[in-house]
Amino acid sequence: MRRATALNLFGAAMLLCGANSSSFALAQNAQERPKQPVRRVIDEVGRSVDVPAQVNRIVTLAPNLAEIIYALGAEDHLVGVSEYTDHPPAAKEKPSIGMPVNPSLEAIVGAKPDLVLATTSINLVKTVDTLARLGVPAYTTDPHTIEGTLRSITDIGDVIGSSHEATALVANLQARLDALQTKLKSEKPVRVLFVVWEQPLQSVGDNTFIADALHWAGAESAIHTKQNWPTISLEEVVKLNPDYIVYAENQMGDDSNGSSLPAGIRPAIARHLDELRNQPVWRDLSAVREGHIAIVDDEIQVPAPGLIDSIEQLARELHPAVFSPQSVSHVSSVPRTWHSIPSEAVSCVR
Amino acid sequence: MTSQEMAASNSNPGTLAGWVESRVRLVVEQASYAYSASAPSAPNFTLGPVTFSARQREIVGILGPNASGKSTLLSVIAGEVKALSGRVELDGKRSADLSLRDRAQRIAIVHQESNLLFPLRVWQYVLQGRYPYGRRLRFENEADCLMAENALAQVGAEHLTDRRMDELSGGERQRVVLARALAQQPQLLLLDEPTRYLDIGGKVELMRRLRRLSEENRYTAVVVTHELNLAAEFFDAVVLLQGGKCVGAGKPQDVYRRELLEEVFKTQLEVEKTATGRPRVILRGQEENDHEDKEAQSDSADAKSESGGTDAPVS
Amino acid sequence: MRPLTPKRITWICVGLAAILFVIVVFSLEVGASPISVTDVVKTLLRGAAAMFTGNWGTIPPSNKLIVFGLRLPRVALAVLVGAALSVSGASFQALLRNPLADPYVLGVSSGAALGAIFSLAWFPHFPWTMQLLAFVGALLTIAAVYFLGRRGGQLDSTTLLLAGIVAASFLSAIIMFLMTTLSGRDLRGMAFWLMGDLATPPALRLRFLFIVLLIAIGAIYTTASDLNLILTGEREAHHLGVNVARVKLVVYVGASLLTGLAVSVSGAIGYVGLLIPHVMRMFFGSDYRLLIPASALGGAIALALADTLARTIVAPVELPVGAMTAAIGAPVFIYLLRRRLT
Repeated sequence: MRRATALNLFGAAMLLCGANSSSFALAQNAQERPKQPVRRVIDEVGRSVDVPAQVNRIVTLAPNLAEIIYALGAEDHLVGVSEYTDHPPAAKEKPSIGMPVNPSLEAIVGAKPDLVLATTSINLVKTVDTLARLGVPAYTTDPHTIEGTLRSITDIGDVIGSSHEATALVANLQARLDALQTKLKSEKPVRVLFVVWEQPLQSVGDNTFIADALHWAGAESAIHTKQNWPTISLEEVVKLNPDYIVYAENQMGDDSNGSSLPAGIRPAIARHLDELRNQPVWRDLSAVREGHIAIVDDEIQVPAPGLIDSIEQLARELHPAVFSPQSVSHVSSVPRTWHSIPSEAVSCVR
Repeated sequence: MTSQEMAASNSNPGTLAGWVESRVRLVVEQASYAYSASAPSAPNFTLGPVTFSARQREIVGILGPNASGKSTLLSVIAGEVKALSGRVELDGKRSADLSLRDRAQRIAIVHQESNLLFPLRVWQYVLQGRYPYGRRLRFENEADCLMAENALAQVGAEHLTDRRMDELSGGERQRVVLARALAQQPQLLLLDEPTRYLDIGGKVELMRRLRRLSEENRYTAVVVTHELNLAAEFFDAVVLLQGGKCVGAGKPQDVYRRELLEEVFKTQLEVEKTATGRPRVILRGQEENDHEDKEAQSDSADAKSESGGTDAPVS
Repeated sequence: MRPLTPKRITWICVGLAAILFVIVVFSLEVGASPISVTDVVKTLLRGAAAMFTGNWGTIPPSNKLIVFGLRLPRVALAVLVGAALSVSGASFQALLRNPLADPYVLGVSSGAALGAIFSLAWFPHFPWTMQLLAFVGALLTIAAVYFLGRRGGQLDSTTLLLAGIVAASFLSAIIMFLMTTLSGRDLRGMAFWLMGDLATPPALRLRFLFIVLLIAIGAIYTTASDLNLILTGEREAHHLGVNVARVKLVVYVGASLLTGLAVSVSGAIGYVGLLIPHVMRMFFGSDYRLLIPASALGGAIALALADTLARTIVAPVELPVGAMTAAIGAPVFIYLLRRRLT
């Protein structure tokens, strides 16, 4: 068999280099940084991660994680964020390391992070695996519910050394949720069709974040299924006859000057209502006839502190009677407060 | 080469050289074969038994109407399939028992040119005929190139050496395919309807070439064809098949009998002799048939009064 | 008359290998943190030396991690997958006697994709189960299509092609069913698998995979002369002494394994296996004794280049390499088509 011996030699050289690299990299990485004490923690998916005692450089692989870092007041340690991280707007200035689903490993490694944060909501297992192989500590959060989000905030706070701020933030958020629950205690949950996508018509399943958020907002999805993003037919909608139809939209972009959100929402609701009233079948739904359309900020899908704001906003839309008028005028979720709030300030600001 | 010249060039059988040359090369004796569409059911086509033999430098034609088993017989001779009874031997060895390689060194089949998938040059194509000689993964050496050049020269296609196969005309491609078969240096050449797509000039040219090649290189050739007259003119022997049965084998003048041919091909024919003693088959037209019948009727009516007349009406 | 000689093959391969080397150095140089060419070459040479002496200290640390930890494995994987796909494509084109054949036409990638979905759905957190199950899926598909593609005891080109297409459709239908009924999270990983991904290091050591690659290509190469003959017709080849049934089996198994290997570690990257053989034929003719090594090197060059472009053009966003091969491959395909017609 006549093959170019040059090819063989070259191939051999390449593969030997490549094959040795990862074990080599692990060994070398330890030599690169000054010997730091590390502690072993178990992350939310059960991996053990060796985190340095002092976390000064953080890279986040998903927008919600960056939002949490800002909420914990640790944004000065944030040295790399994924694309489309724009909550809060200041995050846009941070250097990017690529898309959440396929980040640039080089950019991550080049940022020399002490810790990389990932989430099962959007990142891939193999990204975290590869980082681990390269000797970069990667901590994965796994929030499935609202409570899970709060737990993630606590966990992240522990890992980056901001436990104090995390506890305060979580307490604040929990208090808001509890207050909400109290207000809505005697209310019947509103049956809602949450529209994720219109063509084809997609809603949410029982195991999604949004379903949980709906519960906290005093609502429940009219659709019950194990599939996360079920495609449903119009017939099904007619049969279920929901009380409200809810859309999620990105509100932040339009309202950066801090005008009150209701002013931004009303025209959007009116627009949706117009569209629906012009479509057959839709216009005969009781929700459309009564104008029961609600719009919620799409933060409702993001496991981060802003989620609570969205839940509160949705609750106000669905249960207007329960919320007293002065609360309505202070209702703006904007400007968001990105710093931890002392618990005694809760009732004033909100 | 006319048959007279051919007869003159044969060595005298009385000499040793003549004895060597007249040794039989291909023996087909009582060979039969049968196949069916599906295994368990009875055979729906049976061939044979067929018997004939051929020497070096001889060309045998296999004739018969469509679906009479001509191609099957060729496959049996080629050793592609094993005869169910009787024997097919090439130089004393059963062709079906030969290994693929041995068979390829002895028997060359000239196919209809098939569609080539990727462009190939003529010399590359002909050089492939050297495959049976050498290791499986091999590179052609000078001897191989010489053989290939030789083969191309023998078919008169040296000027086509660097051309691409898809640029050739039908006749040119036929020659190149033949050249590849010659490059195999076979002892037996098998051709399946080689003149099918050629015009009359091309047909005659091919036959002449075959004759010359088998003469010069001592090939034995077996040719399946529909061309009755070309076969009669150029071949040494013919085998006539009908429905799988061999109804005639031998020299053309012995096999081309009018009743037999009319029976096999189911059409009105006339057989006459050419100047060289070879038979020639002629069609009889329908109007002439009617005309002759009428003439025959009026002849017999006036038989008493008429005398003489031609022996055999030439139509 | 200029028959193919081992010398000519060697020279062409050396030339292609040189181009490959240049592309590799280029790939190692560019990226989020560019390293100069001289540094790359120095690092490579020192690394090669260090493998023997064990003294890794002479190489600057940042270069080490980036070049050896990240870029080199990625480029090496691109070389492996590019070579595997191209040889597989060239082999299938001969086996099926069809110039449109590519490595995926017999359904191997669909079987692997199904394996990948299984692993995403049921073993999401185990490392490398995706690659393992993808390879298992590929193997099962190879066996199934083999048994479907036989006629009269041996592989028949037309039957094989039909069997492969049917298998691919059927498996794709199952995949679509699973993708809609399983929970949404799994979709993301799958979409990436379908677009091709060279960033994840393979489960097995690269050196082992390269050995498998060389063995499979070698096995196919032993039939190179036979393939040349088979391309002029199977009966004709048989009469020239080729053991057609055996050659078809060897080529089928070898090429399918190459596809399975490539697809398990990198997902389904398109256009490489289809086009590189045609491009190499354009330059070097269709003699498989040269086409096979030329395709291997050509595929390595093409994929290494495509991957480097995919990760640097809009850095730090990384485009899927399959999108890059399609973006470059489609115009090349159109050009080749037009050339054939004129």
